[in-house]
Amino acid sequence: MTTETSQGKPAENPPTTGPFGQFLKDHGINSSPLPASSGVETLEVDSKDLTAALRLLRNSAEVALDFLVTVSGVDSPDTFDSVYHLWSYSNKNELVIKVRIAKATVKADYLPEVPSVAPIWQAANWHERETFDLVGIRYLGHPYLRRILNPWDWEGHPLRRDYRQPVDALNDKSPGSFR
Amino acid sequence: MATEIKSDRLKTDEMIINMGPQHPATHGVLRLILKLDGEIVRHVEPVLGHLHRAQEWQGQNRTWFQYQALIDRVDYLSGMFTSWALARASEHVDGTEVPERAEYLRVLASELNRISSHLLWLGTYLIDLGALYGFPFYPFREREKILTFLEEISGQRMMFNYIRIGGVQRDPKADWFKRVEAFTKEFPERVNEYEAIVTENPIFLDRTTGVGVLPKSLAMEYGVTGPSLRASGINYDLRRFKPYSVYDKLKFDVITFDKDGDTRDRYLARVREMRQSNEIIKQVIDMIPQGDIMAKTKKQNAGLRVKAGEGFAAVESPRGVLGCYVVSNGSDKPYRFRWRNPSFSNLSVLPPLLIDRPIADVMAIFGSLDIILPDVDR
Repeated sequence: MTTETSQGKPAENPPTTGPFGQFLKDHGINSSPLPASSGVETLEVDSKDLTAALRLLRNSAEVALDFLVTVSGVDSPDTFDSVYHLWSYSNKNELVIKVRIAKATVKADYLPEVPSVAPIWQAANWHERETFDLVGIRYLGHPYLRRILNPWDWEGHPLRRDYRQPVDALNDKSPGSFR
Repeated sequence: MATEIKSDRLKTDEMIINMGPQHPATHGVLRLILKLDGEIVRHVEPVLGHLHRAQEWQGQNRTWFQYQALIDRVDYLSGMFTSWALARASEHVDGTEVPERAEYLRVLASELNRISSHLLWLGTYLIDLGALYGFPFYPFREREKILTFLEEISGQRMMFNYIRIGGVQRDPKADWFKRVEAFTKEFPERVNEYEAIVTENPIFLDRTTGVGVLPKSLAMEYGVTGPSLRASGINYDLRRFKPYSVYDKLKFDVITFDKDGDTRDRYLARVREMRQSNEIIKQVIDMIPQGDIMAKTKKQNAGLRVKAGEGFAAVESPRGVLGCYVVSNGSDKPYRFRWRNPSFSNLSVLPPLLIDRPIADVMAIFGSLDIILPDVDR
């Protein structure tokens, strides 16, 4: 198993289940530990468990991870990662949750699909729109999934590693190639 | 509030109005699609991206050293904080120890920057409220002095590029500290001047009291941070909550309010924060130790590298939690940079605040959130 995006570099120690992984397990949600992200526990959750896991972590009084700091998308070498940084307004808990969609399972011309948490958490709404726009992860069940930073008719997803810029509209004077 | 017209003979349609992107009060280019029923706002859709400069994409396509210089432009009013978030996240991944003097200088420069950012907000917010007379220039008088201080240490007035991975760029001269100290002594008197004009001004009170009330639950639902969150009564300041750098050695209290904050509370929160930052600066000048300002292991040239790994770090910027998620694969360029900009999350709470308010309140509420559009669009 490779760690994160460091290309093919093996983990020094196999990560062990931390307190939040145990908490999720006690409530019947499976997760697998990933190497800690600069000291913060990092869990991989299956996409079908994501909504339940986030709802549980947010609403349980003992954990209270009720601050969704950011939703990020990462185009890793083998996977598309949707990364959720969870903090709390009332205690010092921190947790990183990752949903990883293997590139091999994504059909050509389709986008990787992850369930949206925007219906249960407004903070995710714009972050998921941005990740859809820039990294090209489709959030299923999002109330209004359209591009947010790029123009609505933009083609492609700029933060993909294989993205190539379209015709340079500023320097190319040919009318046929003007976007 | 408008009175409701009850007549079946008077048929009114909702009107759609585009506010912006060239609206002068949007501090950049924000377009709000407003659906109006008479003067009352019924639906809001913010349209972003007019200032999108692909900062995250540039992060993947520039070397670490080049990207450091670029990132101040994200939030042009508080460039220190974006640099600091980048530096902290990269140092986390890298395991770099930052010399203590550098940490103090970071706090000093950032708190100066925080005051200058709030001063600009204060001046322009009064313009947003219609105070087009001379007041906006009072805060700019002090801001000018702060920018001169920051220019002396960094060489630039706004795009500082002062905080670097591993430390800070250069050490100020001894008399610089003396001049900053003299400034901190006169500054509270200047804040008194602003407050004398604004805080109890009847027009200001009419425009702001009870306008744009942000309940705690709504703020937490949308991930609002910064003075806007603290004005709503949540004690959440990263400098105290998760002390980073040397903030745990400095004495200050988090400024919070005991009820759901309205526009005036957010004004008061920022004004008090300016005084608080001023006190922090005084302490830092007293406490700053001698020593190195840059970690010896970090080169400041194109050879700058960060070890493979990933990390997230955040700082408390004038607008809230400014986070930076870094993924490095050990090469000359970062693998992925992801920014968590406070303005982006704070702006997302705007539609619920504007619904059922008169259109005249739109800019009063929007301005009170202190949004910087380049920070939203990156």
